[in-house]
Amino acid sequence: MLFFSYFKDLVGQEVTVELKNDLAIRGTLHSVDQYLNIKLENTRVVDQDKFPHMLSVRNCFIRGSVVRYVQLPPDGVDVDLLHDAARREARGA
Amino acid sequence: MVVGLREFAHRTGNGSGTPVLDESNGEELMRVQPSVAVALGNRSLESPGTLYITSRKLIWLSDVDMAKGYAVDFLSISLHAVSRDPEAYSSPCIYTQIEVEDDEDEEDESDTQSTGALDLSKIREMRLVPSDSTHLDTLFDVFCECAELNPEPIEQEEEEGEHNWVFSADQMVVGGGAEEDGEWPISQSPTSVIGLSIGDEGGLAQPMLELQINDQRFDDAEEMVHESETKDH
Repeated sequence: MLFFSYFKDLVGQEVTVELKNDLAIRGTLHSVDQYLNIKLENTRVVDQDKFPHMLSVRNCFIRGSVVRYVQLPPDGVDVDLLHDAARREARGA
Repeated sequence: MVVGLREFAHRTGNGSGTPVLDESNGEELMRVQPSVAVALGNRSLESPGTLYITSRKLIWLSDVDMAKGYAVDFLSISLHAVSRDPEAYSSPCIYTQIEVEDDEDEEDESDTQSTGALDLSKIREMRLVPSDSTHLDTLFDVFCECAELNPEPIEQEEEEGEHNWVFSADQMVVGGGAEEDGEWPISQSPTSVIGLSIGDEGGLAQPMLELQINDQRFDDAEEMVHESETKDH
């Protein structure tokens, strides 16, 4: 649940989601759910030459299970806090 | 569970031509959208057809060819989006990406088999073009709802006790207790210090279950670039 809560706090920020098929999509985080499904707005593909088919779409729903990385704004992350919280969560699991 | 796009022609025989659902699996019809064309991969639009959105999958059935239809489970839909940019595609549509079965070296992006026939299981993109584009936002929302109804199936989880994550060196636990009595050569006499925590009150009376050495003398030495120990004896 930690990252669900964490992403909820990031709603409204620009993120880049990299999928397991190597596609990277940049957009504004609109919402996230408990499965870490992600909805982005104003999305655009990061490497347009590699993926010409998906130039720009308005809203996009990404299945949580296909996400490889979520790249966050550097000043949007308190690394130490997240580190400690993740450790606590893992211990408690 | 089938990964990827596949043919689907299982229609009810009552003449309505609606798809047969798997009610034993709790599959329900969520929405029917007539006048939807479909474009698989780079192929041209196929129409006329009807889109059936169930709680488990998407089904597109041709209105004219009763043997033609396609289905894909929501579990296989990696992403879906509303595409309105004419530079991306000529008509406003729902763009979907489909997860395909992981084959070893899929360098060949072609979705046609060597015989020229279309291999549906290799289709990675599908566009659904409603004749009335005002339906796009509603369709997008229904897709979202159905995707949320289909989270990853939960595998049989191991018992908590077997899932041994290690967080730090001082957590190392050496299993002892009744079953391993014969294996430990260390006596439990008060004179034996091995295995007892320094400063562990009452530790002498306890059976040795844990090897917890909290004393910093046993820690790895810190790397020191200029060791200033005296060398003359």
